[in-house]
Parts: sequence; C-alpha cells; structure tokens
Amino acid sequence: MDDTKEYQLQIEKIREALGCDIIALALVQPAENLHVLKWQYASGNISEGLKKVVLQSGKGIAGGVFKLGKPLLVPDVKEFAAKDDLFNYPILRLENLKSIGATPLWHSGRVVGVLLGGFRDPHLMTPEKLQMLISMAKSGLSKLDGKELMWN
Amino acid sequence: MELISDKKDQLIDLMLKMYENSTEAIFFFTSDGQTISMNPAAEKIMDVHALDQLKKGAENALCNVCRGYTSESDLITCKDCYFTSSNHEDFSSFQVFLETAGKGVIPYAATFHVIDAEKGTRVFILRDLSIQFETQTKLQQNTMMKNIIKAQENERKRISRELHDSVAQELLSAVVDLRALKYMTDDKAVLKKTNESTATLIRLMDDIRNLSLELRPAALDDLGLEAAFRSHFKRLEESYGLSIDFKSTIERNRYENEVETVLYRICQEAVFNAIKYAYVETIQVNLFEEGNILQLIVKDQGAGFIHGGIPIGTGLGLYGMNERAELVLGNVAVSSEIGEGTTVHLRVPLEEKRGMAK
Repeated sequence: MDDTKEYQLQIEKIREALGCDIIALALVQPAENLHVLKWQYASGNISEGLKKVVLQSGKGIAGGVFKLGKPLLVPDVKEFAAKDDLFNYPILRLENLKSIGATPLWHSGRVVGVLLGGFRDPHLMTPEKLQMLISMAKSGLSKLDGKELMWN
Repeated sequence: MELISDKKDQLIDLMLKMYENSTEAIFFFTSDGQTISMNPAAEKIMDVHALDQLKKGAENALCNVCRGYTSESDLITCKDCYFTSSNHEDFSSFQVFLETAGKGVIPYAATFHVIDAEKGTRVFILRDLSIQFETQTKLQQNTMMKNIIKAQENERKRISRELHDSVAQELLSAVVDLRALKYMTDDKAVLKKTNESTATLIRLMDDIRNLSLELRPAALDDLGLEAAFRSHFKRLEESYGLSIDFKSTIERNRYENEVETVLYRICQEAVFNAIKYAYVETIQVNLFEEGNILQLIVKDQGAGFIHGGIPIGTGLGLYGMNERAELVLGNVAVSSEIGEGTTVHLRVPLEEKRGMAK
C-alpha cells in the first residue's frame, strides 16, 4: 500500500534528521481490530517483536502518551523505570532503549497515534530533540489515514 | 514390709533422677520464701547474680528474674503475686515470665504449690513454653495465610464475574444503542462523533474485560486449565512482546477446582517472575501428568538468581507459591543458577476422589 510506504519513508526521514537509533509510530487500529494501539511502523528497530505488542490504554510508553495526550521525555530510562519495572515497557526492553521522547498525534480532538524517538544510550534525547521530533511530525506526518492531523 | 521399702527406694531413686535430669526447672522453697534447693535445669536458666541471691536464700530473690505472671486481667502482672499470696490453690497451673540467662524474657508454664503442709514447703516447677509458642505461631500463620489465599480467590472471582457479567454487558448495550443512531439520523457530524464515542466505549469495554481476566479468568472456571493457560499466555505475549512455549499433554479436561486454581496461580506467578527478572525472549511451560501426579514446569534460560540472596522484589512470591501448593498437598521446587536460568517445578498429587470434576 502506498500509505504504508509513505509512513515508512517519513519515519526513516525523521530518524535521519534527528540522528535517533529508532523511530516508531503507534497507530490506533481500525474498528475491525477493536481500536487497539500497536507499534505499526518502526525504523532502526532490532527486532520485529515490537510490532506484535498490543498496547493497552494507559499502559506502556504509547499507552501513557495516548491517555494523557502530552509529550513525554525520558532522558534516562534507568531513572524512569526501576529494574523490576522495565517489563512494563516492552519497547524499551525489546529495543534496549536508554533515552526516549514521544509525542501524541491528534485528530479531531482525539489522540490517534504516538510517535517515539529513542536512543540506545542515556541522555541523548533532549528537550530540543523532542521539539524537533514534534515539528518533524507536524510537517512529515500531516496526514494519517487520509485524515488531517491537528496541531495546537 | 520389705517390698514396700523396695518400692520406696525405687521411687526415691526415680525422684532424684528426675530432679537431676529433668528439662523442667524445679525449685523448693520454705514457707517464708527461702530457697531450699534447685535442680540443674533451674540453675541453667538463672544468671549469675540471681543464682547467687537464690542460693543465699535472700528475700524476694525470685523477683530478680520474675517479670510477672498472667492473670485473668493482665498478660504480665505482679498483682496478687503467686509467691506471697496466701491462696495457693490458685497457682497449680499458670503462665509466668522469667528473665533467663541468654534468652531474654521467656514464658513458662508454672506450678507452685505446697508439698509439705506441716512445714509449709513449696515446690515451683517451670516448663519452657517458647518452643510450643513458636510452633503455635507458625501454625496460626499458616492457617491464616491459607485462609487469606482462599478469601482473596473468592473475592477476585466475585469482582471478576461482576465486571464481566454486569459492567461489560451494560457497556455493550450502550454500544448497541449508539450504533442504532445511524438509522435515526443522516447528520454526518453527529454520526462521526458517535463513531468516535463507540470506539472509546469499545476500548473501555476491552479494558474492563482485561481487568476481569487479570483478576480471575472465567475460562479457568468454565473451560479448564489448558484453555485458561492458552488465553493467558496469548495475552502475555501481546502485552510484553515475548513468546511462551506452552506444551500440554494432560488428558483430562477438568481437575478439582482447587487444584486448577493453585496450578494457574503458581504458573502465573512463575511466568511473571520470568518476565520481570529473567530478561528472556522465550519461556517454556510444560503441563503433564506422571505417576498420578499433575506436574507443571516453568523454565527460562535467563538471568537466574541465588537462593537466599537479597530479592529484587518483595521476596514473597516464592513463599506464596509454596503456601498455595500446600493447599492441595503439592510442592514447589525452584532451582536457579546465575546466568543459567530458572526452573520452577510444581507437583500436585491426584487422588481418585480428585478425578474429573465434570
């Protein structure tokens, strides 16, 4: 599908621009898939295991950003999740990420997706990088599923 | 007459031996409270100062170590002291607390009574209760733990059913109502909004179903172990992005309800431990019957841990697994080595009466 290629192309671009180890895009699945949230697109990922994970609302990185509708910055994963808590964040564990930033994608007053940028070393994700991620998302992912994304 | 005298000698001999070798502490006191004699067991529990005072026959020498006795109104009291009270009948069996050499304050079962009415000689016998108390406390803890597990399971079942059968059902009705709106209006804006609301409600319904499943899967009660395990593992794989290699060769569909619950909970705990601490991508779970024993093995090739080391978590999980297994006369063996992985092996004996529940 063209849309798929387009998304993949866009996140590759964002990854290059930010110099991230990984960019992942989680989208709310259509009604026939019960509207679950999944990491559908990824660039720079080690394993495909990531895409199997079904995120429950409020759980994990995407779930949290999805529910709160606010960007999330984690400069150091070690301070964010305790050693025995890491399993709650499959993307951090599977991809061995040490610092991440994530932003919600809005459409008509609702969060429809989450864009994540991450590094495999701590303290590489900074507020400036997160801002860049947000603005790149604005220009690169202006349309999702043919729907205009809203930015405020 | 000789026979009687023989018997008496024998009795004296026995009494002396008992006095020398008994583990009970025995004291003899005169009517005015002076020590006549005390046996080795009694000397052993007294510290040097108290022993000295007692041997000297000092006044109130026993008060050096006695911390009081248990009366009807107090656990430890000196009121109406057994030693000085005139009513000796009351003290044929009571509990007294003594400060002992090396062991601190210990409860003793005591008896204090007159053995020679003419002279007023009294005997004071003490039996250490601390071991019995420990046994009792352990027994109490065990019973309590088991009751708590049962109560928790029942309560979970109730809430889980309530969520699944009533809350989720009501939500479904709301979704159906919302869907019916499309036959009532052509207003695009309204329909769009309702579609979004429907999506939110469906997601909420899903959350509630998940909650209900986490509390206690209905599949466990309705379909049995294998089905419950399969859906549980599927959910875990989806939630945590790892794979669980589940093999089952059990032939019976159903086991006694209690057995099923214990197996499910222990497996849940063991697999969750592996997810949390082993840092692995695959976990093996085997369920089989062998020699009329239902067995479950949860195995990972992960980080492993040291038995008796400082736990990363609460350290209660392994303890809880054992407690649960004991509920159905089973046992849990956990073997682990750093860098090699961990294996949890549960065995539950199957009796004939524990045959098919359905």
